[in-house]
Amino acid sequence: MHRVFKLSFPLRPAIVLLVPVAIALLAACTPDNNQSTFGTAGPIARDQAALFKFIFWIAAVVFVLVEGAVIYASIRFRQRSSSDKLPHQTHGNNKLEITWTIIPALILIAVAVPTLTQIWEQQSGVPDDRGEVLNVEAIGHQWWFEFRYPDHEIITSNELHIPVGRPVSFKLDSQDVIHSFWVPKIAGKVDMVPLNDNYMWMIGDEIGEYYGQCAEFCGIAHAHMRFRVFVHSEEDFQAWADGMHVAADAPAPGSPEASGQQGFNTYCSTCHTNNSTTPGSYAREISFQDARWNGWISDIENAAIVSAPNLTHFGTRTTLAAGLKELNHSTLVDWITDPSSIKIGTRMQEHAAVYNTEDGTADLSPGQVSDIATYLLSLKPGSGSGGGAPATGGGVVDGAEVFATNCSNCHSTTDIKIVGPGLAGIGDRAGSRVPGLGVDEYIKQSLTDPAAYVVDDYPAVMTDWGHLGTETIEALVTYLKTLK
Amino acid sequence: MTTNSLTFPRFIPRPKSDTGIWSWIGTVDHKRIGTLYGLTAFMWFIVGGIEALMIRVQLAQAESTLIGPETFNQLFTMHGTTMVFLVIMPLSAAFFNWLIPLQIGARDVAFPRLNALSYWVFLAGGLILNFSWITGNAPNGGWFGYAPNSGATFNPGLGMTYWIVGLNILGVASIAAGLNFIVTIINMRAPGMTMFKMPVFTWMTLVTSVLLVLAMPVLAVAGIQLQTDRVYGTHFFNSLGGGDPVMWQHIFWLFGHPEVYILILPAMGIVSEVLPTFARKPLFGYPFVIFAGIVIGFMGWFVWSHHMFTVGLGPAANSAFAISTMLIAVPTGVKIFNWIGTLWGGNLKLNTAMLFSISFIAMFTIGGLSGVMHASPPTDAQQQDTYFIVAHFHYVLVGGALLGIFSGIYFWWPKFTGWFLNEKLGLANWALMMIGFNLQFAPQHWLGLDGMPRRIYTYAENMGWENSNLAASIGGFVLGLGILVFMFNVLYSKMNKKIAPADPWDGRTLEWSTSSPPPPHDFDVIPQVQYRDDFWFKKYPETVAEYYGHGDDHAVPSGAQFDDEPVNAIPTVSGGAEDHGHGDDGHGGGHAIHLPDKSYYPFILGVGISILGIGFLTHFSVFLVGAPFFIWGLLGWSLEPVNDPA
Repeated sequence: MHRVFKLSFPLRPAIVLLVPVAIALLAACTPDNNQSTFGTAGPIARDQAALFKFIFWIAAVVFVLVEGAVIYASIRFRQRSSSDKLPHQTHGNNKLEITWTIIPALILIAVAVPTLTQIWEQQSGVPDDRGEVLNVEAIGHQWWFEFRYPDHEIITSNELHIPVGRPVSFKLDSQDVIHSFWVPKIAGKVDMVPLNDNYMWMIGDEIGEYYGQCAEFCGIAHAHMRFRVFVHSEEDFQAWADGMHVAADAPAPGSPEASGQQGFNTYCSTCHTNNSTTPGSYAREISFQDARWNGWISDIENAAIVSAPNLTHFGTRTTLAAGLKELNHSTLVDWITDPSSIKIGTRMQEHAAVYNTEDGTADLSPGQVSDIATYLLSLKPGSGSGGGAPATGGGVVDGAEVFATNCSNCHSTTDIKIVGPGLAGIGDRAGSRVPGLGVDEYIKQSLTDPAAYVVDDYPAVMTDWGHLGTETIEALVTYLKTLK
Repeated sequence: MTTNSLTFPRFIPRPKSDTGIWSWIGTVDHKRIGTLYGLTAFMWFIVGGIEALMIRVQLAQAESTLIGPETFNQLFTMHGTTMVFLVIMPLSAAFFNWLIPLQIGARDVAFPRLNALSYWVFLAGGLILNFSWITGNAPNGGWFGYAPNSGATFNPGLGMTYWIVGLNILGVASIAAGLNFIVTIINMRAPGMTMFKMPVFTWMTLVTSVLLVLAMPVLAVAGIQLQTDRVYGTHFFNSLGGGDPVMWQHIFWLFGHPEVYILILPAMGIVSEVLPTFARKPLFGYPFVIFAGIVIGFMGWFVWSHHMFTVGLGPAANSAFAISTMLIAVPTGVKIFNWIGTLWGGNLKLNTAMLFSISFIAMFTIGGLSGVMHASPPTDAQQQDTYFIVAHFHYVLVGGALLGIFSGIYFWWPKFTGWFLNEKLGLANWALMMIGFNLQFAPQHWLGLDGMPRRIYTYAENMGWENSNLAASIGGFVLGLGILVFMFNVLYSKMNKKIAPADPWDGRTLEWSTSSPPPPHDFDVIPQVQYRDDFWFKKYPETVAEYYGHGDDHAVPSGAQFDDEPVNAIPTVSGGAEDHGHGDDGHGGGHAIHLPDKSYYPFILGVGISILGIGFLTHFSVFLVGAPFFIWGLLGWSLEPVNDPA
C-alpha cells in the first residue's frame, strides 16, 4: 500500500500539467473568435501568427524534453524504501555545460532571424510594391477612436472603413493618455502616444467586419474603448467615401426627425459635429476638436465641453459608444438617457450640461430622447446635392436654423462661453469693436474673415464661413442681432 | 576601549528584556527580523490574494457588474504592487535575514540596527500603501504607473500619490537591506569560506542585493519626478507641458526588469539548496549555476525595452532589445539544465519541500518558454498587454518565485522554529497550489492569443472568453484553498509539535550545523570552512574525493586536507572578518560571545520616515511632526554605543 502511494506520488505533476493544457487545446477548437490572433485577415497578422507558431513548436519540443526529463528523473531516481544510499557525488560535467549553453543559443538564433526580418518588414513604412496607399490618421481619445482621412477629407469615429487589399498607412496619435491601436486579425498593436506620432501599416485582405480594442490601460473606461474595422471592396469603399461628402436630407418639418434635430442642436452639438460633409468641414472639425480639447483641459472640473466623436452619417454605423453595443433605436435611447448604464466613466455624462441632474440622467423627456435617437439614426447620405446650410424654398433663409446647424458648436445664444464667446447682445457690442466698422459689417467680417479681429482671451480657431453664401450670411447676421 | 565623548539624552531606557513586544520593537537580531519580515509579508500576501480573488470573481463571467471599473483598476494596481513589493521581495528578505548569517557562519549581519530599520521602513511603506484603501483613495494607475495616465490631469486625487510615497519608502528599506547583505556577504564569511565555497543561496542573495542597490534608486528617481509632475506642475512626463511619457516607461522598466530578477533569483537560490539536499548529491555544475546567476543579474540591465516593443521605438531599438532578451534565455536555460542534472542519478526524497522545488523547475520552464515568444517583437505585437503576458509572468512569479519560496518555507521551517511542518498537509498544500495555479494561468495563455487585453474590468459575451475565464477563476480559488491549507498546516503542526533536530534533512550547509532553532548567537563556535557544502563533506568525508577528485580544476584546494576535527575557532569572533562591536573588551579574552544590544532607534527613525511620508499625502505641516522623530532617531542612533558598557 505504502509503495503504491509512493509510485503515484511523482506522477501528479504530469496530471497537473496535462489538465490545463487539455483545457487550452479544447478552447483552441473554436478559432473563429472575433479578436483571435489566429483567424487572420491580413498579411501582417498572418506573418505574426506564423512566427508565433514557429516559436511555439520549437518551445513545444523544448517543453516536452525538459518536462519529460523532470518527470522522468523524479520517478526514476526517487528514493525507494528508506534507503539512504548515497548516489554518485558528481560535481558536474563541463561538456554537458557547453552543450546546453550552445544548443539553446543556436535555437535562439533560429528564432532571431525571422524575428529581425519581420521587425524590419513591419516597422519600416509601407512597402512600395503593395499598391496605392490609403493614409489614415487614427487618434486615441479617452475612450474612443477618431479616424481622419486626409486624402479624402473625411472624419469619422469608432468605425474605420478601408479598401480590401490596399495598404493603409496609419499615423497614430493620442490627444490625452497613451492608448494602443489593435485589430488582432489584421495587425498587431502599436501604441498611440500623445505628442509622439507613431506609424504603422496594415492590409486587410478579406472583406468583412473586424474587431479592434484599445490595448493600453487608459483609465476608467479602458475596457469599453473598442472599435470596428470594415474592409470593403474598392467600389464599396469609394461609395462610402463619396457618401461621406453627401449631406443628409433635411428632416421633414414636423417629423420626429425635425424635433430630434432641434434637440440635438440644443443639447448635443456643442461637442458632436454631425454634418462634416461640406468642403472645409474637415479642417473645421479638426479645429473644433482642438478647441473642445482646450476648453476641457483648461478647466476640467467645470468644463461643459469635451472632445467627442464626429457623428456624421451616424445612421450608417453599426455600433454605439466605441464598438460597445449594436446600434439601434433602443440602445441609442438607453445611451442618451444614461450613458453610464452602458459605459461607466464616459466624459459625455460628466460634462454635458444636459446631464447636470440629480441622478445624472439626461434632463430630457422620453419623447425628446426618442426623437434625438430617431434623428441620429436618420443621418445617412441624402438624395440632395448637399451643402451645409439647409436648403430652403422661397428664398427665405432661417438664420436661427443656420446658427443651430453651423455655429452652436462653439457659441451659445446666452452669455455662456463654450469655445467662442456667448453671443447674447452681440448686436449692441458689435458696433464698438473695430473703429470704422458698423454692426453688420463687423459681424460679417467676423464670419468671413474671423482672424481679422479676435477678442482678447479667445483662441483664434474660428474658420472662414464664406462658403455658406451671401444670402445665408445675411440671414445669420439678422438673426444674431436679435439675440439679447 | 571605545567610548563616546558625545552622549545623547536617553528619553527612553534601552530595551533589555528578551521577551514581550518591546523586545521585538528593539530587536536587532537577524533571526527575529527575518521572522518579522516573513509574518508581515505573509499578511500582505493574504491581502494581495484577496485582491486577486476579487479580480477573478469579477472576470468569471462576461459583462459582469459586480465590481465597477474604478474599484477594479484599484484592485489590479494594488494586487501587482502588493505582490511585488510587499510579498515576494520581503519574503525573500525574510530568507536573507534568517539564512545569510547562518549560511556564512556569522553571528549577525554587518549592520544589525540598519537591518532593523529596513524592516520598520518596509512595514511603514506597506501600511501607507494599504491605508489608501481605508481612505478610499487606492492607487488606480497600474503597478507600472504609466504617465500621463498617472499624472494629476488624468488621475486627480491621492491614489497615485499614495503609490509613489509608499514605493519610495519601500525603496529606502530595499536599498538599506541590499547594502547590508552585500557588506555582510563580502566581509563576514567564516574563516575558509572563499567566494566559490559559498552556498548558492548566499550567492543569489549577493547578486540580488547588488541589483537592489542599483535598481531601487532608479524607481525612486522616477517616483520623485512623477510626484513633482503631480504636485508642483513640472513636465518630466506630462505631455501637456511638452514632457515625454515614453521617458517614464524607459525609467520605470530600467528599474522594472532588474526587479524581475530581484524577485526570481532568491527563489533560484532556494531551489539550488533544496534539490541537492533531497537528491543527496551536490548541485550539478555549481560554478555554472553561479555564473548564470551573475550573468542574468548583469544582462537584466540590457533588456528593459522588451516591455516597450509596441511603443514605437523603431526597428533598430526593437531588434537590439529582441536579441538581448533572447540572449538572457541562455543562462536561464543553463540553470534549469543544471537543476535537472542535480536530480539525475540522485536518491530523491520527494517530500513537500522537494516537490515544490521540482515544480519550480517545471513551472518556471513554462514561463521561460512563453517569455521567448514575446522576446520576438512581431509576435509580441499580438501578445503585449494581453492575458498571454499575464499568464507568462505569473508562471515566472508564482510558478517560479512563489513555489521556490514555499519550498524554502518547508525546507527551513524546522531550522527556524525547531519543529516540522506536517508532511501530509504539506502534500495537500502543494497539490492544491499546483492544480489551482495551472487551472488559473494556463488558460490565460489562450485568452491572450484570443485577443483578450489585460486590465479590462469586463468583456463582451460573444468573444469566446467565458470558459477560460471561468476556469481561471475556479483555479484562483483552488490556489487560495492551497494557501489556507498551508496556514492550517502551520497551526496544526504547532499544536502537534514534531520536534526537529539540528540537522533534520541531512543538510549540506552551515545553518544545519547549529541547533534548531539556532541560539541568539547562531554558533557556539564559528565554523572553519574547508569545502563547498562544508557541513556535508565533514559528515561524509569519504565523498570528498568523489566530488573534488576528478582531475579537473576543482581539485582539493591546497592545504584543505580533510581533518577529523574542525579547527577550533576563537569563540569571541562574532563575524568572519571583523568584530563589529564597540565597548567590548572581549578581544582575545576568549570568554564571551557578544552580540549588539537591542535598540529602539531604528524603530524611532522608521516612525520619523513614515510620518514624513504621510506629510506628502496630507499637509506639509505634518513634516513638523515627523522631523523630531527623524532627528531623534538619527542622533540617538549615531551616538548610541552598539553595546552599553556592562
